[in-house]
Amino acid sequence: MSEIEPTPAAWRVVIVDDHAMFRSGVKHDIGGRVQLVGEGEDVPTAVAAILKAMPDVVLLDVHLPGGGGIEVIKQVSATEPSMKFLALSVSDAAEDVIGVIRAGARGYVTKSISADELVEAIGRVATGDAVFSPRLAGFVLDAFSGAIDVASIDEDLDRLSVREREVLRLIARGYAYKEIAKELFISIKTVETHVSSVLRKLQLSNRHQLTRWATDRKLV
Amino acid sequence: MSEQQVVRSTRPLNTAWIGGVCAGLADHMGWPVLLIRLGFVVVSAFALTGLWIYLVLWLAMPRTAAERSAPGLEANARAGMRSAPAITFSGVDLSLATALALLGIGLTWMVQVGGWGLPPALLAAGVLTGGGLGVIWWQADHVSTREVVRGSGWRRLVAPLVRHWSSVVGILVGLSALGAAVALLVVGSGLDELARTVLLLGSSVTALLVAVLPWIIRVRRTLAEARQEAMLADARADMAAHLHDSVLQTLALIQRQAGDPKKVTALARRQERELRQWLYGDAPSGGSLVEALTAELLDVEDTHGVDVELVSVGDTELTPELAAIVRASREAMVNAAKHSGAERVDVFAEADEDQVSVYIRDRGKGFDLADIDDDRMGVRASIVERVKRAGGRAIIRTAPGEGTEVRLELPR
Repeated sequence: MSEIEPTPAAWRVVIVDDHAMFRSGVKHDIGGRVQLVGEGEDVPTAVAAILKAMPDVVLLDVHLPGGGGIEVIKQVSATEPSMKFLALSVSDAAEDVIGVIRAGARGYVTKSISADELVEAIGRVATGDAVFSPRLAGFVLDAFSGAIDVASIDEDLDRLSVREREVLRLIARGYAYKEIAKELFISIKTVETHVSSVLRKLQLSNRHQLTRWATDRKLV
Repeated sequence: MSEQQVVRSTRPLNTAWIGGVCAGLADHMGWPVLLIRLGFVVVSAFALTGLWIYLVLWLAMPRTAAERSAPGLEANARAGMRSAPAITFSGVDLSLATALALLGIGLTWMVQVGGWGLPPALLAAGVLTGGGLGVIWWQADHVSTREVVRGSGWRRLVAPLVRHWSSVVGILVGLSALGAAVALLVVGSGLDELARTVLLLGSSVTALLVAVLPWIIRVRRTLAEARQEAMLADARADMAAHLHDSVLQTLALIQRQAGDPKKVTALARRQERELRQWLYGDAPSGGSLVEALTAELLDVEDTHGVDVELVSVGDTELTPELAAIVRASREAMVNAAKHSGAERVDVFAEADEDQVSVYIRDRGKGFDLADIDDDRMGVRASIVERVKRAGGRAIIRTAPGEGTEVRLELPR
């Protein structure tokens, strides 16, 4: 499944989750294929572990004592703005997912993800790409679709291109990047570029629309 | 909120400039808030009428209650595991407020010069009264519930007063303004000494009463809220107990069926979904497309032991035509579960203005559409024909070894 990465064992990963059981489960599942170099169970220990180990990727739980995953991203980014985070959550609540992405995480997957997919996602984040679960793709489509009115289309950041929308829709339909590439007759690299660009728009677009979207869904 | 309920207008403190009266009225009537603020300013120029209406409404309208989120999210927010979606105060647009204030002063001046205004002393007393009451009532609005509930007896009334030096200063300033207003009134009245004393006493007592009234109302309301909160907490404890029972039950079942991995997975998945839905509250509202699809996929998961993931964008009311689409979706899910050999089925539902689309996809073995054998006969009757009757269309994409994707579309 993950034959795309040439040296999968090389990625150095710190795992942050307040449940020891979940941490050891992940270690058991992917410990052989990535290099686990640190652990954290709340915001202070996580920040300390990350800054000490300087991993390629941080696996970050969204709900965490001391302010949540968002707080970890904020504190680490203050000194290490290039640190890459992959958010993991059981919550699936839209405002948490969108919140952690807007804080700077490069991807979001649910905790029910299979070990193979998780290793692939880590590789993708480590090489600078974005990882969207079908669920996240659905949220983003929702966020950018209903909220756009003609008056507010003055900035490129506030809308998705037709191609980006197509890619997101395919992710939401359960397609892997490889399958999307085949479907749209483009390269995997191009799919990755589109997803990264959606991620950037999600992180940078003006707050107004996302807030309004959240308000419409009674999330704020 | 249902149609029958009387919709009371409330004061949203997060968008308030002063007491939130204008913002609340704007929300209630659907007018731009600036228009209402302008109205109050203009009417105030005439004998301060707008000011008096504002103060009365301030007393009459309750604060907007905070919205609550799902219990799991609230608990996590309380424990500091996620940053709570705090009320964000939008703040005062200073330039706009200055413009409105200048307009008010200008209009009042014109009215005064024109000779239709109040005597200057009365006008000054009125402005001082309004300002003083405003400062004091503003403090009352920003008392936190916790401080009122914590104290007992007289302390309950005083504790919020001395919470912070700024609130003490605020109240002193407010009371001084009221005192000055009373003094102006008495001095300007031109009465003899006895009448003056009576007037002084009378207006002082009135001013104090009016200033203190909101405190009493606020404290009583907070106590009522606290009682309601306690009742809610009880109700939640009951629900939590119920949930624990269901989780414990599932765990017991899992232990008993430990030899059958498929059953164990199905049990665990069902319980996980139930718990997550309750904790994080992503249950769709009644009678909608997404709700109907969710119900079908849970059933398919249970009976066929596969993982079905639903992602939805938008939602819409379930019409009879859409119900047909849902039934066809179910058939497609069942087919995928029974014949494809895949362990997971992805369902994507999208409802936009033009059409509703549902995609049901598996990565299983697929089949050749040309030679649909007997047990595939269902496909034509239960999916393609059914959707066509409802006015939509079904497209099936599959090939041996390629998986299957059924796409159902219904124009709106």
